[in-house]
Amino acid sequence: MVLDNEAVQALLDPTHRKHRAVLAHLEVRNQRQRGRRMNIRVLVPVAVRVEAGWDRTAATAADINRISAAVDVDLRRGGADRAVQLRQATEVSVVDATVGHAAESGTHPAVILTSDVDDMSRLAGTLEGDVRVVGI
Amino acid sequence: MDDAVAELFDAVQRLHDEDVTVVTSVRLSSSLREAVKAAVKAGMDANPNDAMLNAVRDRLEAFTQRLALDIHYERYPDARPSLAEIAIAAAQLDDSSLAHDHNLLRRAADEVVRVKPDADADDVLVYAAALQAALDPTSPTAAAS
Repeated sequence: MVLDNEAVQALLDPTHRKHRAVLAHLEVRNQRQRGRRMNIRVLVPVAVRVEAGWDRTAATAADINRISAAVDVDLRRGGADRAVQLRQATEVSVVDATVGHAAESGTHPAVILTSDVDDMSRLAGTLEGDVRVVGI
Repeated sequence: MDDAVAELFDAVQRLHDEDVTVVTSVRLSSSLREAVKAAVKAGMDANPNDAMLNAVRDRLEAFTQRLALDIHYERYPDARPSLAEIAIAAAQLDDSSLAHDHNLLRRAADEVVRVKPDADADDVLVYAAALQAALDPTSPTAAAS
């Protein structure tokens, strides 16, 4: 499960109108992991953290650090190259291109959790592997 | 938050960082040891060490996330999603045809807790699929059963 910018924004702010919706997806992850039915990993590209203002060392990030259980996806050379290719192919933003890279790099099937279903669906259509888009 | 929980949150945050390894001893039953070895041969993990680490890490992460979510809901009670909302999220993640029928999932969530008070999202999905099959024998869930 890959978080995009608004999914992170929603998690950061308990008053955000989509806060519960994103928590519902994290609850699925937790229920299935506790029941050992499925291991769903939550990924967040580092560029999404930058855009959303998620500094893991900030006191205000303590909740999201813990409830999301998200693992950072770093952008090394190969990942940067792939993000460039995705951006050129789909004209998505730089940050969205790194979401595409993160979705490709995780285990599949992968899901991108986003509020921008149209752009992300266009992006997902170009990705390798089984990647779907879920709107929040 | 007590000290043990704070220490746990802090330690789990570092699970995915580069870390030095330490040798520790764990007392296993011989049958568990043999089962792990056999599972590794069957392809579960690369080696017995990875198998043990992955199992412990998965349990720690699930336990810690549960604690964190419950603490969050204590502070923000309105943030807690309902069982129906979690079931809708589960159906979306699974790309299930049920994801589009929110009314059916809400009804299933209402009814399933009467027979299973600790029902989770997957219980709701199974119940909803049965309801859908009963209501419409031509539905995808009926065809799959």
